[in-house]
Amino acid sequence: MKITQGILASLLVLFALTSCVEIIDDISINNDGSGTVKYTINLSSSKIKINSILALDSLDGRRVPKRAELEENLTEFQKKLDDKTGISNVIIDQDFTNFIFKFQCDFKSVEALQKALKEIITDEEQFKNVKAVNHDWLNWDGTKLTRSIPDFTYEVPSSLKQEDLERLKEGTYTSITRFQRPVDKFENTSAALSKNKMAVMIKTTPYLLKDNHDLIENTIFLSPLK
Amino acid sequence: MRLLTLLSILATASISYSQQPEDLIPKDAVSVFSLNNFQLLQKVSLDELVQYDFMMEIQQELFDGSTTGKSLKDSGIDFDKKLNIFYGKIKNYEISGITFAIKDQKQLFTVFDDFETEAPMYTGVDLYASLFNRLLVKNGNALLIRVDPTIEKIDQVTDSIWYARGYQNPWGDQDYYDIDQDEEGNIIDNWTDDQVENFDPSTLNTTEEENDLQKNYYELRDSVQLVYQERYFKDVCDDLFAKGNNLLKYDHRFASQMTHVSEGVFYLDNSRSLQKTQNLWYIETMFPSLYNDINTLYTGNVILGDLFLKDNTAEFHVEAQYGPELGSIYEEMNDSKFDKNTLKYIHKDNTAFFTYNVNLRQAYEKAFEVVVPMLSDEKNIQVAYNLLVLELLNEFVNKDALFSTYKGSMFGSFNGIKSIKTRKIEFVFDEQTYDYEEKEVEAEEEMPIFTLGFSTERNDIPAKVLKHLSKLTSRFKNMGEYWVYEEAILDAAPLYMIMKNGLFIMTNDEDLAKNHNDGYGAEAIKGKKAASIKKNGFMYMNVDWGNTIDKFPADFFSARQNEILNAMRGKTGNMELTSTKTTKEKTNFNLVYHFDNSNGNAGKHLLDLFNSVYVISR
Repeated sequence: MKITQGILASLLVLFALTSCVEIIDDISINNDGSGTVKYTINLSSSKIKINSILALDSLDGRRVPKRAELEENLTEFQKKLDDKTGISNVIIDQDFTNFIFKFQCDFKSVEALQKALKEIITDEEQFKNVKAVNHDWLNWDGTKLTRSIPDFTYEVPSSLKQEDLERLKEGTYTSITRFQRPVDKFENTSAALSKNKMAVMIKTTPYLLKDNHDLIENTIFLSPLK
Repeated sequence: MRLLTLLSILATASISYSQQPEDLIPKDAVSVFSLNNFQLLQKVSLDELVQYDFMMEIQQELFDGSTTGKSLKDSGIDFDKKLNIFYGKIKNYEISGITFAIKDQKQLFTVFDDFETEAPMYTGVDLYASLFNRLLVKNGNALLIRVDPTIEKIDQVTDSIWYARGYQNPWGDQDYYDIDQDEEGNIIDNWTDDQVENFDPSTLNTTEEENDLQKNYYELRDSVQLVYQERYFKDVCDDLFAKGNNLLKYDHRFASQMTHVSEGVFYLDNSRSLQKTQNLWYIETMFPSLYNDINTLYTGNVILGDLFLKDNTAEFHVEAQYGPELGSIYEEMNDSKFDKNTLKYIHKDNTAFFTYNVNLRQAYEKAFEVVVPMLSDEKNIQVAYNLLVLELLNEFVNKDALFSTYKGSMFGSFNGIKSIKTRKIEFVFDEQTYDYEEKEVEAEEEMPIFTLGFSTERNDIPAKVLKHLSKLTSRFKNMGEYWVYEEAILDAAPLYMIMKNGLFIMTNDEDLAKNHNDGYGAEAIKGKKAASIKKNGFMYMNVDWGNTIDKFPADFFSARQNEILNAMRGKTGNMELTSTKTTKEKTNFNLVYHFDNSNGNAGKHLLDLFNSVYVISR
């Protein structure tokens, strides 16, 4: 089964046809390099439209995925990720009433997380030689975290037509990075520090992000361990 | 005087016996649209014409760049004679094509430039062929035709040859196709567009052993298709050119219709359409006498129409003819008094609405009278059982209650796009920690607003149903003047139900439910328009085309489709469908379209309209 392709195809249709998508990408890094990643896609402000689209077989030349397909792909993805070394507690919450999809998992190290995701993607023949998959988007050395988002995720917006891309302007993309000790400084000037100094947030739109990959890029320096 | 008479007779004879394009319509055609006068289309350039979505289906010949800068008048077609478009689906094959007169054959082949001359099959008939179509020219008239065997026929013959050669099931190696199925058994197509485009059928391992001298399944299927294309093409042409049969000779109703002095003529033989397709193959095989009865019932069922074009009006006059038995059912069904209460719920500024008045009780009684004897003649246990159930239901069911609840008359209206209240989830961030939580808030989404209402004498029955449903779920609520079913439409929007004035109305229009549940009062449709609806037959429809198009949700159409809709936006036009009283023999319908022809290109306007209807109905 082509899980990644199925999920990407579903996201492509949903993003293309919904006016307001909200994405939250939330990573917590513990002092030992382990952590939790959470990813939330909220399409609840377009649920009438999504429901009417899901009732169709195809729209604008694109095949509309069936709900059962998406459920199956996500469940399969969950199983595969759970089997990977260094990954645990994989949870995927699928809310088809409000169209909110939440993914989260614990990881032993950022390397284990990246390796696991890359392995699942390259399991599929058509992604074996895709360069974007090799991209490392997380780097942690105990005192600083360098992060972006996987190049691979840009596949979705780059496949959209111009009129569909326009809709992404109304969406939001929020990237949060959390730590167990206070942040000392960070390089991205668009980022904001939480009042407790333990989390850094960057807000942008999926539309801006598709052409400016560095909007989310950040190197965050932590205060020394006590 | 004698000389004058002789000359008149000779002139009449020469007109009568000179061949016309319609003489080349095969008798297998079950639907024909004939343009008697398409002068007004001459202004349309071929480049514009080929852009229309409906042209894609009709003709590939014009899509090869050879038409650049030309208009229809450069195509060599004789505009003083009729152009006929026909289609027919016969049991084993389909035919489609166009017949027209040629004014300049040299010019014609600058458009049909993919056609190569072939050896003639009949004396006096020139034959040309392209990849998909054949062009036959006789006495200055042309028949552009395509004959395709049905997929069922091709599969049947291919499978038969395949298994006779001792091969296994060609679909045995399922993994090769990577077919996945969802829980409902629907095939999930995982192939990308690139994979589909680059797919090479010859790579399929469909023979037990690879043998270059043997055709694989798909090669065999292509050969079967080609052989049957040739065979059926010859059958059709033999009938037309060797035996001299054509639709004009076969059906006098078509011949009579073609004599009408109108801009266009429409013909659809429903009875042959029913008999010659495979839709009823199961009944034909299992219940042959019932199949004969159904055919008898549909005999004489034909739809004939005329198109009249005036400066800023297009009128379609359509006559639906029936056989006596089917006609008797329709006559009873359409013998219904107009329910004037429906008018209270149609706003005077409404852009699209219809009313439909039928007497379901009378139709049921008549259908029972006609159908039961048919079923009684069938000596089959399944039919006998169903007949027994039908007769028992007829005895025991309270028909008074049933047909008083649902009398059959109804109305519907499209009230444009409105923002409706829904709920959405927002994530609220805590500035201290950037932790976030979900919060349900009110939102607005755009939705097409529809109203559908039925005449009833027993609103107490749906009220009973709703009362019980409201005990089962809190989503059904009695609001006093109306009922509401929360999140009924697309799991998000409420459905309102109004039970007043002898009507049961369902709508997603909050304004109608809350503020006008007794009708629009002074704002309801009135005066001439209302009078015209009341005196009408069983069906009436009125569409303010320009305003309705303006209110279509653009998001639901592709960029190209939106271009077409945009072309119609801003154009004013009103479409009105009226009908006469139904008799045993026929019902007449008139569709009148008034449009703004200030730019003088009525042909373009009509093509835009036709294409919009085609795009929307696809």
